[in-house]
Parts: sequence; C-alpha cells; structure tokens
Amino acid sequence: MDLGISALSYVNSIKNAEFTVEEFISKSLERINQVDEKLHAFLRVNDLVIKNAREIDTKIKSNQNVGKCYGMPISVKDNICIEGSKTTCASKVLENFVAPYTSTVISKLNSEDAIIIGKTNLDEFAMGFSTEFSAYGPSRNPWNTDYVPGGSSGGSGVSVSANECIASLGSDTGGSIRNPASFCSVVGLKPTYGLVSRYGLVSYANSIEQIGPLTKTVEDSAFLLNIISGIDSNDNTTVDNKNQDYLNNIDAGISGKKIGIVTEMTNSEGLSTDVLNATNDAVKTFEKLGANCEQVSLQMIPYTVAAYYTITSTEAGSNLARYDNIRYGYEFDSSGFEFNSYISQARSKLGPEVIRRMILGGFVPSAGHAGKYFLKALKVKSKLIAEINHVFEKFDFLISSTVPIQPFKFGEKIQDPVSLMMVDFNTVTANLTGIPAISVPYKITNGLPIGIQIMANCLEEHSLLQAAYALEKTVDLPKVPV
Amino acid sequence: MTKIGLEIHCQLTKLESKLFCSCKADYREFEPNTNICPVCMGIPGSLPLLNKSAVEKATLIAMALDCKTPGKIAFFRKNYFYPDLPKNFQITQLNAYGNTSIGWEGRILVEDKQIKIRRIQLEEDPGRLIYEGATEKTKLTLVDYNRAGTPLVEIVTDPDFETPHQVREFLNILSDLLENLNVSDPGLEGAMRADANVSIEGGSKVEIKNIGSFHDLEKAVHFEITRQHSLAERKIEIIQETRHWDDRRKITVSARTKEEEAEYRYHLEADIPWVRINDNTKNQLRAQMPESISSKKERYISKYDITPQVAGILASDRYFSELFEKANNETNAKDVANMITTDIMGLLDTREKREISKLEAGHLSDLAECVKSNKITRASAKLALDEIIKNGKPLSQIIEVLDLGHLSDESTLSDIISQVLNEEVKAAEDAKQNPETVNFLVGKVMQKTHGKADPELTLTLLKKNLDIE
Amino acid sequence: MKNLVNEEEISEVAKLMKIDLADHNDHIKRVQKMLEYFDILDNAGVESEEITVQETDLDKLRDDKYNPYDKNLLKFLKSYQGKYVKAPKLN
Repeated sequence: MDLGISALSYVNSIKNAEFTVEEFISKSLERINQVDEKLHAFLRVNDLVIKNAREIDTKIKSNQNVGKCYGMPISVKDNICIEGSKTTCASKVLENFVAPYTSTVISKLNSEDAIIIGKTNLDEFAMGFSTEFSAYGPSRNPWNTDYVPGGSSGGSGVSVSANECIASLGSDTGGSIRNPASFCSVVGLKPTYGLVSRYGLVSYANSIEQIGPLTKTVEDSAFLLNIISGIDSNDNTTVDNKNQDYLNNIDAGISGKKIGIVTEMTNSEGLSTDVLNATNDAVKTFEKLGANCEQVSLQMIPYTVAAYYTITSTEAGSNLARYDNIRYGYEFDSSGFEFNSYISQARSKLGPEVIRRMILGGFVPSAGHAGKYFLKALKVKSKLIAEINHVFEKFDFLISSTVPIQPFKFGEKIQDPVSLMMVDFNTVTANLTGIPAISVPYKITNGLPIGIQIMANCLEEHSLLQAAYALEKTVDLPKVPV
Repeated sequence: MTKIGLEIHCQLTKLESKLFCSCKADYREFEPNTNICPVCMGIPGSLPLLNKSAVEKATLIAMALDCKTPGKIAFFRKNYFYPDLPKNFQITQLNAYGNTSIGWEGRILVEDKQIKIRRIQLEEDPGRLIYEGATEKTKLTLVDYNRAGTPLVEIVTDPDFETPHQVREFLNILSDLLENLNVSDPGLEGAMRADANVSIEGGSKVEIKNIGSFHDLEKAVHFEITRQHSLAERKIEIIQETRHWDDRRKITVSARTKEEEAEYRYHLEADIPWVRINDNTKNQLRAQMPESISSKKERYISKYDITPQVAGILASDRYFSELFEKANNETNAKDVANMITTDIMGLLDTREKREISKLEAGHLSDLAECVKSNKITRASAKLALDEIIKNGKPLSQIIEVLDLGHLSDESTLSDIISQVLNEEVKAAEDAKQNPETVNFLVGKVMQKTHGKADPELTLTLLKKNLDIE
Repeated sequence: MKNLVNEEEISEVAKLMKIDLADHNDHIKRVQKMLEYFDILDNAGVESEEITVQETDLDKLRDDKYNPYDKNLLKFLKSYQGKYVKAPKLN
C-alpha cells in the first residue's frame, strides 16, 4: 500500500476495493508514529479515527451512500475549530481551549466522509513562516530535518509531504499555505477571499485570510476546493462558487494564455539565484506549453510587505484582544488581582512574536500614528487592487517563485526581523488583493524544494488550476527522503 | 451661555434577535448567561452576522430625524479592554472613509428651537457587570453576557440645548418618535440611556456618564449646571473631566481615577462587508414609515376638529392613537378622543395595564354612541370602562349587569332631589341667591344615583324645585 | 528624521495592549527595526488614494429571527460563579 498516493487515486483504490479505509488509516497512524516524533507535524492525533474508518467501511460494504472522500485521512491546521476538541493555535493561552462548535469547512469535509486524522502545528496564531514560533516546538522539513518546513501552516505541509495523510487544510494570511507548500514540495492553494468560509477559523488578520488545501497534486486541490467552497450563512464575507466543478477540464492546457512575469518579484534584493533560475525555467516551460510570457511591473509591490505587516498587526491586535483568560484560556487564578493587572499578566503568556505584533498593532493604528502607517497601508492595498485589476485586463495569470528563497536552517532568519519579513515578499500580494494563488512544486535543488506561484484574477480558480495542472505535468520530482 | 449636548443610547427592543447573532434581542426575561452563543461571546473563530432589520430600523430613525443617509454603511471596531466586552472590542460605526454611519446631520424641533443631530450609529450593547458587595471591598466582578450584542442606536446631538427643560422636552419627543416608529419601547428598563456634556460660559466641557433613565438625565444636567455655576462664582476653574451620575445620591461625582486616555484604535470590521443601501431600498423604507407625530396631530385637528391639545396627546402615543383611529367613525371622533384622554389614559397608564386590558376599539365606539344618545351618562361610561378593561364583555351586558342605564324617571328623580335638598339646606339657599352654584347640587344627586341620573333632567327639576332660572 | 519609537512609547503601547513585557530590550529593538522598515510606505505616493472595501447588498444579510443557541455555553466557559462569569475586580 502506497501512502504517497493522491486523493483521487485513494478514492479509486477504495472504490476498487484494493484496500479498506481501516487498512489505510491504520497504516497512516503507523506512519505518524514512525516519523512524527522527528517531524512534529501534528500537535494532536485523533484517536477515534479507526472507529470512523470502520463506520465508513461498513457503509461501503453495505452499498450505502458514501461521501466523496471515502474516509481519506485529512489533517487540519490547529487554528480551525472542531467541536469538542482542542484548538490551541499553537499558543499557550489556548492550551485548554475546547471549541464548542465545528467550523464550516470541517462540517463539509465530515459530510463527505473525510476522516480528520489530527491537528497540525503552526506558528503561534499563524504569525510566521517557519513554525519556529509555535509554543509547542517547531515542525521539521521532511526533505532535510535541519531546515524549516515553512509556515505558518508548516505542520500541514509536513504532514502531506511526509505521507502522514492524504491532504491538509491550512490558512493563508500572507502566504501561510503557499510558503510551506513550496518548502515541503506539495501543492498549496489560497482561494479568492470569500470563496471558502472562515467560520471556525481563529482570526489573525480577517480582512485578507483564507482557508485552503495543501495536497499532493493540483487535481487534489481542485477536488477539495469543490467540497469546501461556496456561500456560508455563517460568514457574511463568503461569495458564490457558482457550483463550479474545478476538476472539470483541468487538463485543458494553457495554450494561447497570457502570463505576466512580475518584474518586482524576479529582481528583488533577497531573491536567491537558484530560485531565480527555477523561475526562469518555469517561464520557459510555460512558453513551451504555448503560453505567451512577458514581464509586467506593478508599482505597489515594493510597499506590499510593509502594508501587509501594518494591516495584519492592526487586525491581530484587535482579534487577539479577546484572549484575556477570563471566559476561556489556561489555568491562572484571578483571585486577588485587579482586572488590568490580571489580564496583562495572563496575556504575557503569548509568545514573543505575537507580543511584538501586539505592540505594532497597538502602535500603527493609534490616533497619533494611523496617518503615517495604517491609513497608508490601506491605501497601498487599494491602489494595488486597482493595479491588479488593470493587469488582469491584459493577462490571464501572473507568475513568480512562491518564496524568494529556499528553506532555511532553524534559527537562521529568526534574529533579523526585516529579512524575516521579506520571506513573504512574493505571497502577500494575493492576500492584499484577494486574488487566488497556488504554489506548484517545481524543482528540488540542493536537496530542497522550490515552488512556483501562479496567480489569477478573483474567482478564476478554475483556469488557475488548469494552468497549475499544466505546469505540474511537466515536472518529475524525486520522492521525499523521510 | 450654557451648552448641553446629548448622546442617547436606544436599544432597538422591537427586534427579535441581537445585532450580530440569533440570540434574543430582549434579554430581560432570561436567567444570567443563558441568552448567549459563540458569536456574542466572541468565541474564537465565530463571525458576526449582521441583522438586516436592525439596519432597516436604524435607517428609519435616521430618516425620522431628518438625517442624511449613506449609500453604504460600514462597521468599525472600537478597541478597549473591559470585562463586559467579550471580544474586548465593540462593533460600532464611525464616519470615516466617506460618511458610512447610518445617518448624519439631522435635526429636530424642540419648543421651536432646532436641535442638530450630529450622527446616528448602529452598534452592539456590552454585557452587564454585577459588583459583588460594596464597591470598596469588591473582590471580583460578576458578568452576565445576556445583553452583549443587543442592537443599539446611538444618537449624538450638537451642544444645542440651553436648559434642562429643553433636554426633557427633547427626550419626550424622541421617546414618542421611537415608539411611533415601532423600533423601540422606551419604557423598558435600560432601553434608553444617555450621556450628557455640559459647559457654561467660560468653562470647560464636562461629560456626565452612566445616566440610567431619562428622568435622571434632566436632574443630572440640572445638578451639573448648578455645580458649575457655583464653582464659577467662587472663581474656581471648571476642569474638563468625566463625571458619573450617582443614582443614589442624585449628584454627579468625578470619575475617581483619571480614565486612560482614549485610544480606541478604530479600524474597519472586515467580517462585515460594506452594506449597500440603494435609493430603492430607502424609498421602500420611507413608504413604510409610519405617519409622523406632527402630521398625525395636524390631521386630527383638521379632520376631526379636535382641540390641538387633545390631538397632540393622542398623536404622540402609539397605543392610544391606534385605539382612536380604530374606534372613531368620524361622527363620534371628538367623543372618542375625549374619552381616551380624560378616562382611558388614566386607567391604562402603564404598559402592564395595557397588556392585560381587554378593551377593544369596538367597546369605545359603542360607548361613545350610548353617551351621545343619552343611554348612559359620562359618569356611568367611566364605570363601564373600568369593567370592560377587566373582562372585555360587550357594553350592553355591562350596562345591564352594573345597572348603568340612565335614571330619567321624573318621579324617582324628584324624590331623590327632595332628599338632597333636605340634606343640603345651606347649599340650596346659596343656589337661590347665586344660581351658578346649582351644579354642586347636581353633583350630590349624581352621587346618590351613582352617576345614573340624567344630568339635564336633574338640572331642570332642581331649578324648578328651587324656583330659579 | 526617522520616526523611531523609544522605550517609553513601547511601554505605553504594551500597557494599552495589556501585556506585561518581560524582555523589554529585545522587543524594542525588533519593533524599532520593523517600524523603521515601514517608513517605506512614505514613498508609495498613495495619499490621495481612496480606500476600497468588499461590499454586499442589504438583502443578503441575516433575517431578524430568534434562534436560541442549543448548548449551555456557560458550562463550557472557564470560570464562573453560580450563573455568572467571574472576572477580577475593577480598580
């Protein structure tokens, strides 16, 4: 039994009775037991999964209706709520938080008979892209465990890459799906803002973040997007998916399509030569496939990282204000305390990166500084949207590398906050503008992965997935060494 | 010159559900913390779901106060830490990025003075704090979140008031208006709250917070003006500060600790997209809008020939004006109006009484008819009303049971008159000297007959008996 | 002239955000560096730009219906006394 199979092949194998759900799930649990001590993709593994698997097997045997997922094991980032189980956001302040309700994406997966095999590691409250900021220790890159797996959905990326599960759900605020997808050599899709319900996703920067899949193939991302997208009465910001089948015609190719190579993302200061070479190579590949590629410049791009951090800190400062340890949280007796001193002490349990974002989030939107920072950031965002709209009048897609660099060693970036921020340079544009973006595994250089990012206009996931599929079909990558 | 400005918080009590979730808007009947859900408790991952009717009702208020209304509204987060705020921010509105609060720049006439409405915004109420024991020794704060998320409309006026009396008049007009719009029941405990800012000539602006009722608001403003004047007389500087209204001692007291400088880090609430309110919607709302109190009053005067005073009283009360409109059939309008204002308003002076009252409009038109055709007297009508309110039986039955039929039998009435004259010798003499005092004797006859005596016949017989004209 | 925040300002903000700062210096340096980087926004030339936001129609909003939450949320909360949620005293 190959644990590395795609979601679509898994479904076929189950339908052809090549193995049972229980067999596959047991094997997956074995695999997790073998490798996860080292990789630390999971914060918690669901111990009810064997029972779930048997139930689905019974349904299959008795010819009852079975959901599209046929019991495939899916991992979920630990900032997405499942009723009755812990959702910690990899933070000490939510150490004991048990969600009283289930997020929309999980309800949808459940109703299609997916098995949620466990909750995956992340940078605390999704702030970071290496999982080094997890309060429960970092995850490790399966391609080389001395290297970070990317983040913040690092655990999700690792779990799919290391074949601990078939697919995973992550969240992407500034690249948090695409970055670990690129670093771990899996596919990662950030959908259009509003295409997937955020109900049950613990907010970090709610104006720009989305839940999305991390999968082994582009088709698998399309398969999962079919399930999780669409209007949700529990989320006012959701938009109609028009019942599209994203798998339909996914092999249509990209002949005749116009692709813009984002100039600012191919000549940025921090871009590594290997990554640049891979990007140029991908451009050639697209041209071979019949697409027309040319450079395109977006003037606002140099300001996007600053705008992104300004906006996300502001929203995080507000979204994380509720963690005052009064209604839920960790054990910390309040008797004898005065309100302000109690909550200030309770909140000091937030990790250092989160605390820094809180301070920034208190500073940049404050009355005295909003004009210089926060309002300017919003205006950069608005102007960037206008630029993007303009660019997509001419182009079908934009491409760049997903991350300007390859995975780095633990501790390598953490000391310099500015170079740390620049890791997001290529990914934040999609979040600030709401457009969909996908990272496709493209190369393994020096034993470490490089992913290519493709972006499309809002709600153009269908053609975006076609382009990603075309690129994916041209590459043949080695198997993960773990 | 004294300047007073108000910030009124009015709960939209006529709504079924809270502003952002499906919990009940009227939290009053619930055990503590049983009218809560993940959304109003700010449980991680929950999202606010804006109540459509709240937007509509708040827009109605803005329109009724002659405000400009925007083509789209936006919500903002006002960030501050307080135990009654589950998210540690309040979702409210702000006029920023273009005008996006539900209304702005309105006005209302109060005793011929124009009071400008600065803005109207839709926002959520926080929960309620219960302090255990005396404030000084309080060891902890208990919180009931049932109220958290209740829809509120904040109405901010310019500092256009000059006297506490104008403030009182404004509040009366405003309560009537909100009731007439069917958006709020101002009589419900805590449904209307207010902050005021007061300054006198040469002094700084003082804010008074925590005023729990409109009645106290007038008092608080009055107290504050007096306090500031007495400081000014003693040449003591009036400092800019926030004071709290002490409900028990009926005075304002300085907020003891200097409140942290307000730094609310306002920013857009991205969980709620900007809501477009197009002209079509506005026109529909305008069409639904109930007739304004002033135009209703005008209509009553011109159509029914009712005195401006009675018309004003009727028009400003939603319950009684509805009763009036249903009961009158044009010919009896004046009688119905008088009956409502002189008798029924006294009998049904509280909401509780109205709620259990069995009185129907049909009773009232029947009653007016009987009085007009002299079947019963006005005094008997009042007795009948009392009974109808209690049991709602048809008027004819009540007249029979209570034996309220007119006493117009001449010989019976003559006997009673003789009795009265024997008992009231002095009054009888007075009446002979001064015929105008004869009404006192009419009253005595009425008393003896429990109001059933035909008043005209009584007067005729009395005059005949006393030999006066 | 760089608009660097000083230690005092950062302490004030930490107080506003209700966080007791344990390691002042490290935070200050990092926050200063990030803010310094944010100065790049001054060069974006966006002052006259209008802010655009996602929009929706009134019809799409939730209907005003009371629908009680079916679980006892209080029992799920961390600290309560009787029917109330317990919070530390105010001042």
